[in-house]
Amino acid sequence: MAQVKNWQLNREMQYPYDDNRPKKQIAYIFDTNKCIACQTCTVACKTTWTSGKGQETMFFNNVETKPYGGYPLKWDVNTLKTMGDQPWDKTTKTFKGKTIFEESGGDNVKGWRPEERDYAFPNMGEDECSGIVNKGSFFSGIHDVWMFYLARICNHCSYPACLAACPRKAIYKRQEDGIVLIDESRCRGYRECVKACPYKKTFFNMVTRVSEKCIGCYPLVEQGEQPRCVQTCIGKIRMQGFISKPGEARADNPIDQLVHIKKIALPLYPQHGTEPNVYYVPPIHVPVDFLNQLFGPGVENAIAAYKKVKEDKQALGAFLLFGNSPKTIHSYKVEGDFTVGYNEQGEVLTRVPFTEPVFVRPYSDEKYGTFRHNTP
Amino acid sequence: MKTKNCLLIIAIIGAFASNAQTGLTIKSGKVDSIPKKNSKSSIWTKVAPVSVTVLPQNITSPKLQKSTIPSVKVTSINDGITIGFLLEWTDSTKDIFVDADKFCDQVAIQLPMDAAQNPIFMMGNKNGRVHIIHWKSVWQNDIENGFRDVKEAYPNYWTDVYPMAERQGDGSMGKYARDVSVKDYSKGQGKNFIPGFYAGNPMSIFDRKDPSEECIAEGFGTLTTQETQNATAWGTWENNKWSVIITRAINSSDPQDAALPEKTKIAFAVWNGADENVSGRKHYSMWNDLVIEK
Ligand code: SF4
Ligand code: SF4
Repeated sequence: MAQVKNWQLNREMQYPYDDNRPKKQIAYIFDTNKCIACQTCTVACKTTWTSGKGQETMFFNNVETKPYGGYPLKWDVNTLKTMGDQPWDKTTKTFKGKTIFEESGGDNVKGWRPEERDYAFPNMGEDECSGIVNKGSFFSGIHDVWMFYLARICNHCSYPACLAACPRKAIYKRQEDGIVLIDESRCRGYRECVKACPYKKTFFNMVTRVSEKCIGCYPLVEQGEQPRCVQTCIGKIRMQGFISKPGEARADNPIDQLVHIKKIALPLYPQHGTEPNVYYVPPIHVPVDFLNQLFGPGVENAIAAYKKVKEDKQALGAFLLFGNSPKTIHSYKVEGDFTVGYNEQGEVLTRVPFTEPVFVRPYSDEKYGTFRHNTP
Repeated sequence: MKTKNCLLIIAIIGAFASNAQTGLTIKSGKVDSIPKKNSKSSIWTKVAPVSVTVLPQNITSPKLQKSTIPSVKVTSINDGITIGFLLEWTDSTKDIFVDADKFCDQVAIQLPMDAAQNPIFMMGNKNGRVHIIHWKSVWQNDIENGFRDVKEAYPNYWTDVYPMAERQGDGSMGKYARDVSVKDYSKGQGKNFIPGFYAGNPMSIFDRKDPSEECIAEGFGTLTTQETQNATAWGTWENNKWSVIITRAINSSDPQDAALPEKTKIAFAVWNGADENVSGRKHYSMWNDLVIEK
């Protein structure tokens, strides 16, 4: 095992391979506060990549309701249980527990293997909230029960557990964009990755008898376009870009701005040690203890900063770019009342106003001799 | 760094080797013909079997923590042209399916490409290649009972449509999407949605003729399917016991096959599907001598 630096844990950790960060690292930000669980992303992904034989229960993208939902069934609870209590030092934000690479019982990764039935209920727990809603509390301001939607894809981890577990080295991380892929000609269907990935984002295909995973829509990414799940997102909760190496954050990179600089977007289950690259804005209405378990010790700061984002033009400028261009935004600039997104060549991709202009149109339209209804 | 790792592995293997049984001799007795599928044929009784100890693989990750198979009974015969091995072991469950959580029973023999190079008994090493013939129960089930498609595994499953299927299964002619077999699917556009097959992966073959796979290897993680597949295998499970026959030509024209001089070496590996044995999670034997009565 090599010693590598995991910035999300604020310490070094063990990993089977030496540190070898790619030239660029794909990263995403998902704002959980905006997701409406319409599953457009899920369907966009499914029809694009997994509508074939043996892929019936395979969802590279899924959206589950927390606290009770999970696909495959109880994926996160089972991995947490396998690992046991693992503490953080909340003051220094240093992880004091063991990662899945450090307590692996002789193997490269400590994992949990789902049963085939666990893939049969992708909607289990959907829209269920944390407890019973007391009579009348619908109308009394902030509810005392909660739930939220968690959209999930492969995290294209900096230290992928799937890759670490594969004895054939059939899984690789691309230098050009950090996307993690399974070589479909080399995989022999050992399912070590399925057991190892703490997010359960590699899948065994019972027809081809080899494993498959989210490919980060690399054919789109190679052309400077954002993946399908990002482009199609109805709630505009998603942005894909590239995250800079720790210590090299660029203020004009919207991903760096929200992850490294403002620390509003946090990794999911960083304690497992894979350094996942989908960053989440935590839901502001959910108890912090629950969120700490999911997103680590930065939750309170993230929520406080998010609540004040109206006063932070740089952060707000980055947020406003979400869902406003099919292309990948590499840098942005706040220009007066606009935030402007640029591609890698510095060409303008989108200009988004901080305040949407308001047009008032008369109820009665003289020209067409008709009335306007207030229907969207 | 690499050499250091390699030396370390050799040292570890050496340490383990001393615990294992070494130096058995398997004599391949001369007979008139080889029954390639019939393990009950009296021809197999003409030679005394040898019981070969197998150990859980715990040298490289992924490891097998506990042993469920102590030994494999090996009988070898040859007719001057073909050599056959009957491999028998106790297994109370017949595991012939694979799925996210299902693993199948398997057995393999390993021969050195060149015994003089003395390759490491576990998958060989650089400049010490080995030839492996591997029987898989899931493949045999495909041949005996037809390819296990989704409908065979889940008779009550439903799917509205496989968008790329050649035969849509729209309900006319009594055929629905779920009735479209992968063989039909893989003929046209559907192929794009069967990535393993598209990539030509030897695991993704839907009309297999033989449940064996011939491979070459030169160390952990290097197992590679041979271009020419000319070995055979056949297994029978009865009374809590697998009996698997593996055969190959003694003088093979395939340059990727191990030469079989009068004296060479042979090792074995066996997997128990019920205990999630797969890949390196296997039971292995040390090299044994193989003497071929010609
Ligand atoms: S999320 Fe899972 S499948 Fe994706 S890179 Fe990380 S370990 Fe691998
Ligand atoms: S498309 Fe967007 S809003 Fe809809 S479920 Fe997916 S992530 Fe949520």
